[in-house]
Amino acid sequence: MGDHIARGEDFEKKAEKKLSGWGLFGSKYEDAADLFDKAANSFKLAKSWDQAGAVYVKLANCHLKLDSKHEAANAYADAAHCYKKSNIKESISCLEQSVNLFLDIGRLNMSARYYKEIAELYEQEQNLEQAIVYYERAADLFQSEEVTTSANQCKQKVAQFAAQLEQYQKAIEIYEEIARQSLNNNLLKYGVKGHLLNAGICQLCKGDVVAITNALERYQELDPTFSGTREYKLLRDLAAAVDEEDIAKFTDAVKEFDSMTQLDAWKTTLLLRVKEALKAKELEEDDLT
Amino acid sequence: MSFHMRRGATTQRLFIIKYSAYSVAAFSDQSPAGFRQRTHRPKAFLLDFRGQRMSQVFEGYERQYCELSANLSKKITSASLLDGEQKKQKVSEITGGFEDAEALIRKMDLEARSLPPNVKATLLAKLREYKTDLNNLKTEVKRITSANANLAARDELLESGMADTMMASADQRTRLMMSTDRLNQSSDRIRESRKTMLETEELGVSILQDLHQQRQSLLHAHKTLHGVDDNISRSKKVLTNMSRRMSRNKWIIGSIITVLVIAILLILYFKLTH
Repeated sequence: MGDHIARGEDFEKKAEKKLSGWGLFGSKYEDAADLFDKAANSFKLAKSWDQAGAVYVKLANCHLKLDSKHEAANAYADAAHCYKKSNIKESISCLEQSVNLFLDIGRLNMSARYYKEIAELYEQEQNLEQAIVYYERAADLFQSEEVTTSANQCKQKVAQFAAQLEQYQKAIEIYEEIARQSLNNNLLKYGVKGHLLNAGICQLCKGDVVAITNALERYQELDPTFSGTREYKLLRDLAAAVDEEDIAKFTDAVKEFDSMTQLDAWKTTLLLRVKEALKAKELEEDDLT
Repeated sequence: MSFHMRRGATTQRLFIIKYSAYSVAAFSDQSPAGFRQRTHRPKAFLLDFRGQRMSQVFEGYERQYCELSANLSKKITSASLLDGEQKKQKVSEITGGFEDAEALIRKMDLEARSLPPNVKATLLAKLREYKTDLNNLKTEVKRITSANANLAARDELLESGMADTMMASADQRTRLMMSTDRLNQSSDRIRESRKTMLETEELGVSILQDLHQQRQSLLHAHKTLHGVDDNISRSKKVLTNMSRRMSRNKWIIGSIITVLVIAILLILYFKLTH
């Protein structure tokens, strides 16, 4: 491994010399770019990610001077991948530059994909607001490229984080939209009830009882089979429990649903919020009376 | 076997009829010693006839054995159809029959060995045949009893179980408890299977979503490839254009150079000749 590091540094020095010296016919940038590429490869083999990332950035600069934006953008993306393993902020900045370049060229697909990567990195760091921003941008770009599934996936993530950040209306709208789109598609229609369940849970979190019943009816119209599913039953029971402010009923319904299929972390957090709200309301009433 | 018997019987009868004069006494008298005393005919005939008489004894045993084996095979087939107690009875009968058959075979063996060699060989061969036959019957019985053994063991097991439940059913309460237990167990199992089914359904849904995504990327790739195709054909045209222009330029330059060279030569020529 030390061998690779030595080789990489060797290549890097040669490339720098080429750049600082004056080549003939202006081919120096291309040669330098080649050498930088080899240097970065050796650093990657040696697993020294920081050095590799730095070399990739230099490579991107070379390409920019050569006016080949595509190559430069690719180099920035490679740099970002190297930095992902060690230094996330650098990686994000590299990805942003790469995305800008791709947008300039007009390769919306690639830029959308890299936006999604940035958003995932933010998600890892639990920076949900930034993640939402980037997921939205990615979803828009995917939409304009007519790649609806990736767009839907990004939008789902947006809705998830929005609900976690208590932006319930947004989440509800997104989930309903996705459900409506999925109905037409033969492959996706089996996932519709999952989306409607999520939307229903967000409605519950909002706490508006009338809206909940309206929403349930609306979902019924959207998808006739929805009323037969366990999800619908759960939502109805939960709505009734919230209406009557009966915590025991609420817990029973949730437990019954959980015994069949495990509730994932997101749903559990939201339902817990609803339960807390119910408890608070009950205490309030007790206080008043 | 019966064929051999019949053949032996007919030859026996022929001999008797042919040499009735000499054989009457021999036929009536079974002892080989007396027979030897009586007739002093040529040795060959003597031996032959004695062999005849011996094989007669043998034939008698043979006939008994054949009857016995036919009986046994009939009993075996009937036993395989029955089961339980009756089967056990039949099987014990059959084993008794086996013992008789074995005794017969031993006697036949002794008889055959005391006879002269030429007949001995054929009789021993027949005896071997009978022995294999008997072994086959024995294996058949073993097969039936082994199949029987499994069933018998199961019967015993279940019988004892039923005896227990018979005893418990006398007590209504325990019986009810047992049935409710069983019902609970089955409902538990049903719930478990429902859970697994739901999990499988979720898995299926996610697989469908993946498929949808892959379908879209495939279609996108398809479109892009069509675009690439168009671009390639366009670039091919451009390149042919370029090569044509290049060759055209080459010709033009070449022709201009030759014209100039010819002009220079002409001027030089005229200059020199003046």
